Amino acid sequence: MKNRLKLLRVERGWTQEQLGQALGVSRQAVNALETEKHDPSLDLAYRIAVLFARPVEDIFDNPHA
Amino acid sequence: MLLKMGQSGTAAGWRYFVRTMAFMSGYVAVNVAAIFGAFDDIASPMAAWALALVVSAPVVGQIWATLSLMRESDEFVRAVIAKQFIIASGMAMALATMWGFGESYADAYHLPAWIIYPLFWACFGVISPFVRSSR
Repeated sequence: MKNRLKLLRVERGWTQEQLGQALGVSRQAVNALETEKHDPSLDLAYRIAVLFARPVEDIFDNPHA
Repeated sequence: MLLKMGQSGTAAGWRYFVRTMAFMSGYVAVNVAAIFGAFDDIASPMAAWALALVVSAPVVGQIWATLSLMRESDEFVRAVIAKQFIIASGMAMALATMWGFGESYADAYHLPAWIIYPLFWACFGVISPFVRSSR
């Protein structure tokens, strides 16, 4: 799923490891999200949205819209 | 990937590594003892079946350790392990089935049924580097 996660992370100067810790997931999971090898669950997508204080659709493109 | 989990430094990965080493050391120890003749004198069928049960118990333990790793990991790692497990299981079953029918119809050399377990992990090792996506 196309997303702006890497952009948002780099804007804040965070590493994948740091973002993973903030979200409660592994660095591998953050890398997989950024490289579109994993579509997040709704729960994880909402956690990411809360962390970056943005609506989910600002971070993840809605493929059905 | 599973071995990498053990090296990744996560608590779940470390627990998996310790559990795997514990179960596999038991499996290897009993088999090495059997190879060196420690059980050659077993005469009663009951004792022989008990030995078979003891050797196979670590296999159940290893599956439990893998399920525990999945339960304790995040959604991406869980999904990738499940995918790797399914593909490796399918490959192992397909190879075992092919060989079994080879024995039935083509007079292939007989292989013992326990080979399915090391065969599964061999398949797992082969496919793991290529299964890195949850999709």
